[in-house]
Parts: sequence; structure tokens; C-alpha cells
Amino acid sequence: MRAFEQLYDRHCRLVYGLVFRIVQQAGTAEEIVQDVFLQLWRNASQFDASRGAFLPWLLTLARNRALDNLRLKSERQRRREDQTEELPGICAAPEFEKQLDEKRRVSRIRELMTSLQPQQKRAIELAYFEGLSHVEIANTLKEPLGTVKSWIRNGLLRLREGLQATT
Amino acid sequence: VSTTDQFGELLEAYALGALDAPDRAALETHLATNCPECASALNEARWLISQLAYTAPEAAPSDMLRARLMKIVREEAVVERADQARSNRATAVATKPAIPFWMWAAIAALLVAAVYSAWDARQLQQQIREVNDRAIAELHSREKIGEELAAVRREASILADPASVKIALATSQTDASPLQANWNPKLGLLVSGQKIPQPPGDRVLQLWLIPKAPGAKPLPSQLVRPDANGNFVLLVPSPPQLMAQTKALAVTEEPAGGSPQPTTTPKWVGAVIFSETKD
Repeated sequence: MRAFEQLYDRHCRLVYGLVFRIVQQAGTAEEIVQDVFLQLWRNASQFDASRGAFLPWLLTLARNRALDNLRLKSERQRRREDQTEELPGICAAPEFEKQLDEKRRVSRIRELMTSLQPQQKRAIELAYFEGLSHVEIANTLKEPLGTVKSWIRNGLLRLREGLQATT
Repeated sequence: VSTTDQFGELLEAYALGALDAPDRAALETHLATNCPECASALNEARWLISQLAYTAPEAAPSDMLRARLMKIVREEAVVERADQARSNRATAVATKPAIPFWMWAAIAALLVAAVYSAWDARQLQQQIREVNDRAIAELHSREKIGEELAAVRREASILADPASVKIALATSQTDASPLQANWNPKLGLLVSGQKIPQPPGDRVLQLWLIPKAPGAKPLPSQLVRPDANGNFVLLVPSPPQLMAQTKALAVTEEPAGGSPQPTTTPKWVGAVIFSETKD
């Protein structure tokens, strides 16, 4: 119980910030954060601390729940209906992550994101924070689909290379 | 371009959730083949996408959220501990070695046999006690009959033996008859009476032998109470002295249990007329 309190205190600002960024409503964001941490409490046995995958799992869960909430209010909800109740897969952290402390990594990812071309950054943000697909982003930005795909792919590659280069 | 390279280009977009339905379906079909390169690349892609969360500005939720969340978790922890305790108890009970049915049946049979044996033994002991009691009573009865028979035989012998001396014990009582005594030097002394009044209360009649020796005190002998018809027979197998040394027989009325010396005047007295040839 004490460990759970410490874990909440350590990560609640990050999780709440992410969820609020997606849903844009404080009350809804708190409901989702509560749901996410309860999910964590009830599935604590699923995590292997030695794999270092806890925080990515928690962030992915928070994002999925927030996007599900968005989709409930839009016509786009059908696209991921089959994923709404699934827990995110546990991903092992890549080797280079272990060589970066958290502060440096956070700082680096923010720098890298800022350094992307504005179209790349915008396309990735539409996908990540608003849950739009390639086609939906292309429609939103009124750009060709292939162009949008390239922006997203190249932007993500740049982020990965940037994090690897930091080590 | 290999199949893995072709799908590898889609992995980041898939992890981001940006693939449209046709691309997503094709990639998921490929992932279902357990392609190791794509599985590893997908892991890295998921991690990379999760890092985008740091690009959102951090913000603090309300203290109420923390309080509400911890309250729920505490309550669930209490319920979980209670469930665990119940489960442990149930497991402990379930893991106890079960006693097979045949063993229960054997135990039940043994118990029934033991109870029956105890009951049977008690019955047998009771029967043995009753038989013993009857045998003892029979023995006592036979002994008594034997004694009575021996006494009757001795009385008959005393009466029939020519060596016996007859002694009449006279009385001054108007309501009583004299007593008859027969003294045989070998068989004993027999005293009998008929229509003798009952002594008052629990008092008894006591026989005395009056010695010939001058100044000698009367020798106490047996006690008797007449029956309902006033009859009695008193047999003295071994009188306290020889007939030759006895001057007379006397009968007094004494308290229950008799007296060492007469306490009343004799009610019956008879002289012993002894002939040397008979003794």
C-alpha cells in the first residue's frame, strides 16, 4: 500500500499531464487517471520490475484510456472498438534506454520533438494526442496521404536516432 | 524489399495507432506469424511512442483525486486480505489428508463391535453374579437345612437314647406348663416347652446349670424365645459342665442378649437326678 502511494506520487503529474493534454477537461482527466492507477493496483502482479517496462506500460494505458474517452464522443470510435478494453502489451525497454537517466531522457525527447519540422511535429501530435490515423491526419492537414505517412515515419526515426545518439 | 522490411516500416505508425484499417490488418496478420525481427522492432517502437508522453506538459491532479484513489485501494486491500485469509483456511482444510470411506466404515464397525462387546460383557457379568448369588443362597439354604436336620437327628437321638436322663422343670406360674429336659452325656441337653407365655418386650428365657459344688454360681447357657404358639426346643450340644456335677437346671427371664448371672427368680426349676451308670 505504501509502495503504491509512492508510485502514485512519483508519476501522477506525468500521467495526469498526458491525459489532460488529450481530453482537455480536468474532471474527465481525473476520472481517467483514477481508473488507470486502479488498473495498475489491480494488475500489479503482471509487472516484472526487472524488465523495466512499467512506466511505458502505464503511459500507454493512460493514453489508450484517454483516447477511448475521446472516441466515445466522436464518430471515429468504431476504428478501435476492439482495443478499448485491452491492456497494452508490455514492451521491453531498448538497451540504450538503460544508459540514459530519466531526467536526461525527458529533456532529450522534448528537445528532439521541438527540433522536428513543424509538419512532422504536428502530424505526430495529431496521431499521438488525438488518435488520428494517417488518412484522418491527411484530411485534417489537407496534405497528401503519402506525405503525411513520410512526415510521421521520418519524424519518429529522427526521435529514435536522437535518443540513441544521446547515449 | 523483404516482407520483414516492408512491415518494419509500418511498426512505428502501428504503435502510434496511426495505421488505417487495411495496413493494420495486413501487419497484424504478419505479426501473428511470430516473426522475431518484427516482434523485437515492435517492442522498441512501442517504447519510443510511450516516450512521447513526456512532450505533454506535466500538471498536478487535485488532492481529492489522491484521497479518493487511496481510499478505494485501502478498501480493496482489506477485502483482498480477508479473501486471502479465507482462501488460506480453505486450502489448509482442503490439503488435509481425507479419510477414505472404507476407513470410516471400519471405524464405525469397530465402534459398534466395541459397544456390543461391552454390553455383552456387562450382561455376562450380571448373569454370573446372579448365578453366584443363587449358588451361595442355595449353599446357605442347604447348610441351614443340614444344620436343622442334624439338630433334629440329634434331638431325636437324645430323646431315643436310653442313656438320656429326663428332667422335669416345674413352675409356679399358673399360666405356664412345665418344661421337659433330656440330657444325654454324649449328645447334649435338649429342653422343650409347650404353651409357654411370651416374655414381655424383647426379653428372653435363659437356661442355667446349677452346680452341685457349694457356693458355686449358676452357669449361663443358651437363650430362647417361644414361637407364636408358645412352643420351643432348645438344644445345647455342649453343656457348660458335666451332668454329674450339676444339681439342677433353671430357666429365668432375662433381658435380650442374656445375662452372666440370673437377674430374676427362676420361673422353671428341675433337679438333675443322675445315675453314675448313665454318665
